[in-house]
Amino acid sequence: MKSDLKNEEKLLKELVSNYNVKGRIQRERRIWINTDKEKLISICKFVKEKGFDHLSAISVTDWLKEGEYEITYHLWSYKRKILLTIKIRVSRKNPSAPSVSAIWDRNAQIHEREMHEMFGVEFKGNDDLAPLFLENWQNSPPFRKDFDWREYVKKECYNKDNEREIVYHE
Amino acid sequence: MKKESPKKKKMKKIIKAIWIFNWFNSCGFCELVPVVGSRWDMERFGMIVVGSPRHADVLFIAGYQTLKSIKVAQRIYEQMPEPKVVLALGSCTITGGMYWDSYNTIKRLDDYLPVTMYIPGCPPRPEAVFEACSKIFQHVKEME
Repeated sequence: MKSDLKNEEKLLKELVSNYNVKGRIQRERRIWINTDKEKLISICKFVKEKGFDHLSAISVTDWLKEGEYEITYHLWSYKRKILLTIKIRVSRKNPSAPSVSAIWDRNAQIHEREMHEMFGVEFKGNDDLAPLFLENWQNSPPFRKDFDWREYVKKECYNKDNEREIVYHE
Repeated sequence: MKKESPKKKKMKKIIKAIWIFNWFNSCGFCELVPVVGSRWDMERFGMIVVGSPRHADVLFIAGYQTLKSIKVAQRIYEQMPEPKVVLALGSCTITGGMYWDSYNTIKRLDDYLPVTMYIPGCPPRPEAVFEACSKIFQHVKEME
């Protein structure tokens, strides 16, 4: 039985006509939209009013060849039962994005803090981007694809003169 | 008969049972559950888990230790009363194990804590844990 996608279509149509975003209905109860960071805040405000109360996650994908980060916001509406995914692209060199912590409050704050730590994305407007998991980290953010964990570990942790640890250098 | 030192006399009274404080990260606890459960039942051998490091004689460390969590482990260690014993359980704890190339786990536990005994394995067999603990009893029995 083919399910009825009326709700999804209606929402997507509104988003496209109001904000000129590119989007598609991925499947039942699942919408993806691509936009840019200038429109992000107004779109987020709009969908919050539409009932998307729950910000499940913010994730960052590192597209090394394209020199871009893709920041993904996963939103869930308890009322509509729709999972809305908003994607924006920011430059990899100087990554910054507007913070959505004014809209989803502490919920967004902690995700942004983590992404700031792991990828170095500057979320403008977030009041606390202090380190979360790492301890005294001086290097480049560890989840960047050009950060080589193995090289780092070999240099920092394993001693070539130690006979037990020489295997890690071979 | 050889005269017992005051320390030994005291230790003999204390060593009826050893009280354990667990500091387990990640999979550490579930790997040690068989030791607690009825099949191997650690309480038969005079081992009991306590809720506070201030009551504990033995510190069990299991699971990978991160740079952040090892600080907590060090504080726990400092809170334990003398004499104290540290047992490192499992390969992740001792050398980083499968997280050997992680930027955030510690690779040599002995850089951070004075480890008394290492129990390797992934997970260590309950028999190995018991052998380590029996060595503690044995040590007191044989001490001067």
